[in-house]
This record gives sequence, C-alpha cells and structure tokens, in this order.
Amino acid sequence: MQDNQQQAYDRGITIFSPDGRLYQVEYAREAVARGSASVGIRAADGVVLAADRQARSPLIERDSIEKIHTVDDHVGVASAGHVADARQLIDVARQQAQVNHLRYEEPIGVETLTKELTDHIQQYTQTGGARPFGVALLVAGIENGEPRLFETDPSGTPYEWQATAVGGGRDEIMSLLEDEYSPEMDLDGAVGLALESLAAADDDTLDADGVHVATVDVESEQFGALPTEDVAAHLDERDLGGDQ
Amino acid sequence: MNDPIRDPYEPELGSIPAGSEDDETVAKTGTTTVGITTPDGVVIGTDRRASLGGRFVSNKQVQKVEQVHPTAALTLVGSVGGAQSFIRNLRAEASLTETRRDEPLSINALATLAGNFARGGPFFAINPILGGVDDDGSHVYSIDPAGGVMEDDYTVTGSGMQLAHGALERQYEDDLSMAEAKELAARAVNAATERDTGSGNGLVIAEITDEGVDITHHDDVTDLL
Repeated sequence: MQDNQQQAYDRGITIFSPDGRLYQVEYAREAVARGSASVGIRAADGVVLAADRQARSPLIERDSIEKIHTVDDHVGVASAGHVADARQLIDVARQQAQVNHLRYEEPIGVETLTKELTDHIQQYTQTGGARPFGVALLVAGIENGEPRLFETDPSGTPYEWQATAVGGGRDEIMSLLEDEYSPEMDLDGAVGLALESLAAADDDTLDADGVHVATVDVESEQFGALPTEDVAAHLDERDLGGDQ
Repeated sequence: MNDPIRDPYEPELGSIPAGSEDDETVAKTGTTTVGITTPDGVVIGTDRRASLGGRFVSNKQVQKVEQVHPTAALTLVGSVGGAQSFIRNLRAEASLTETRRDEPLSINALATLAGNFARGGPFFAINPILGGVDDDGSHVYSIDPAGGVMEDDYTVTGSGMQLAHGALERQYEDDLSMAEAKELAARAVNAATERDTGSGNGLVIAEITDEGVDITHHDDVTDLL
C-alpha cells in the first residue's frame, strides 16, 4: 500500500511528490536529453540555429527529418526531443504569429511568441489526463531590430539566452559555448561556433548533409536555412568535415 | 487541441464578422479597379477615392490595392472596413499555409480561399479583384460578394466598371508589355474618374511579376498617359 502511493506520484501529471516535484515533467526533460542536439547562438547582427540530423539509415530522405522550422518571416524554431510533439507546438506558434498580424497588423515579438508557447506547454503540466510535451524548443528571431534567442522546456518555463543548446550532449556543448562565446561575434562567427559545438557532442566531425543550419539577421529580418554548400564551407574552414 | 476537420468556408484564424454594413455612415470605396494580365505579369490599377453614400468624398488618398501573398495583390472594393479585414484574413491564412508547406499558394488556391471567405457571409459587401503570378503564369480573378470566383484575361470591378470596360475592350491585347498594360490600366481608370462620382483623386498601380509586387502612387491619373 505504502509502495503503491509512492509510485502514484509519477503516474498523474498533476500530482506533486511530497518533496514538491512533478515527476512526469522531469521524465519529459529526459525525453529531451535523449533527442539529438540543437544549438542556438545570438550574435551582434543575428541569430543562428543549428541542429544535428544524423540519419538512422542512408535510405531515409534527409529533408524529411525536421529539426528547424520557420514560424513567420522573422522567426524560427529548433527542437530537441519528440519531433511529433514539436510539430504540434510549431503549429501553435505559426497560428499565434498570424493571429498577431490579424489583431495588430504587426509581426509577433519573439518574447511574446515564446511566452504564448510556454503558457500552452504549462497547461499540459496542470491538466488532468494530459501528458507534458516531450520536447524543448529554441526560438530565434528579430524583435525591434534586435536579435533574440529563447528556450522553452517541458515545464513551460521560458528562458532567454546568449547561446545555448537543448538535447543530447548538452553538457559538452554548453561548456564549449561558455568558453568560446563572445557577445561581439558576428553571425558568420556564430555559425562556425554553432557547428563546432555540435561537432563537440559528436566526436568532432559533422557532414554538411547531417546538420541543418538556419539564420535570421537584423538587416533582412528573414529567417531561412543556410544552403548546404555554405555549411560545407564552414565545416571545411573549421576542419570539422571528417572524411567526406 | 487541433480539430482534424476545419470548415473550409471559415478562416482558420479569427472569424467572419456578422452584421450589415449597408449604411451611409460606412465608408465605401465606390471605386474603379482594373486588373490586366500580360505574358510577364499582372497590372492592377485603382483610383484613390473613398466616399459616404457616393455623395461625399471622405478620403482622397486611399490605397485600394494591397499585397496579400508574395506574388499576388487584392483590391478594396465596397465597404472599406469589410475589405480591410478581408485582406488581413487572406494575408494571414495565405502566410500560414505558405509557412506550413514551405511554398506559396497557387493563385487559383488563393482565389478559391478568397471566394470561400466571401461566401461565408453576405455582409462583407465587397467585390475585389485578385491578381497574381504563379508557376502557371499570370492570373486575374474577380470575386463577387456572394463568393463567385471568375478568372479572366482582364477584369474591372467597382462603380466605374462600365466606363473602364469601354477603354479596355477597345485596347486590350493578349501580348501587352507590362509598360503598355500600365498605360492601359491608367487609361481605363481615367475614363471612369471623368464621369463616375465614386471614383477619382489619382491612381495607384500595382505591378505583379514572379519577382513580387510593386505598388506606386500617382496624384494625377493622367501621369501615365
């Protein structure tokens, strides 16, 4: 009986343990840690998102592995964890971005968008019968001419970062970012650092097809993928190319 | 959670407002709007007058053509409020679909969407032209208040439509250059502003090609003739 009650704390998402923890939310964070990594870096003139998309099999179409998504012209999202859960959140983000255009005829702020998302995520930690989202997102965009980078986690907490990572290998990536990051770096340097940090979690090699990079800069305010050739050039420059 | 089946006649975001706008205190565009296809793109021309009950000019510099898609524009014809919210809705829905699918809607799909929204309620009291360019070429559609969607090589809507049609019928050809189409659009709007009390106060031209939409204002409708 005692044992059953102990176990029940991690059965219901809405039930606190006696020491104040929500086990299902912690398990959801575990799902994130098992996902492949995504990195975000805020430079002086833009933001870069980079994601590992190693294929399970050479037969899979790489483009069908979705890790980075456009939300609106000026903002995009990278994910780590359950892709299916991420897709639901990304559609919420896309709808909210357009609702902002409808309601105010203005592009949505990156912080506003992030908080719309985290409020949505939070509801799944407090509603009976629900399961938390097993995914963490990096939200990158331009707001009032300034680059912004946010993280959402499965508890529904928003964080703002200069540079961060979600997913597997986060500790290695973070320690590299903490050593190498400088707020003055430009977007080009940030792309290089993002690739270097992804490689750090991956035996120091990447191939250009196995990584997805997208940027948004303060000048164009357009979020978009970096072409594979450009990624390959960055990998060459930093000697991360492996043996292609 | 997302409803798996959405009503195709309603916008996914927001809703269609209810209520009548057939009142003399509501700003109407009166209007002459012209859409012409060419092998290189589409030219849309509109006047710039808004009026109350067709008898008082309430604004002399209305821009009655707005971009709604990377390579498409829609004219405001009828109730200004109805047309403005219609444009916001169409722009949001087109952008949402483009973001989801990673490619712009075809102009036929955009026209169908616009027709479905107009069909959702008779209150909009609008009669816009949709012009755009896609992989299949140049398209002009007129969209009537009940949701009728009709494609044509060139079309006119608004209170000055008979007058503008006179100019178009005589001079339209299917191989006009963009510059010739611009002049023809100006000529058609000019014919209407001379005699239609709901149209006047200059000209706005939208040039649509596969590169995008370029909108220019002209204080005098004869600038381009």
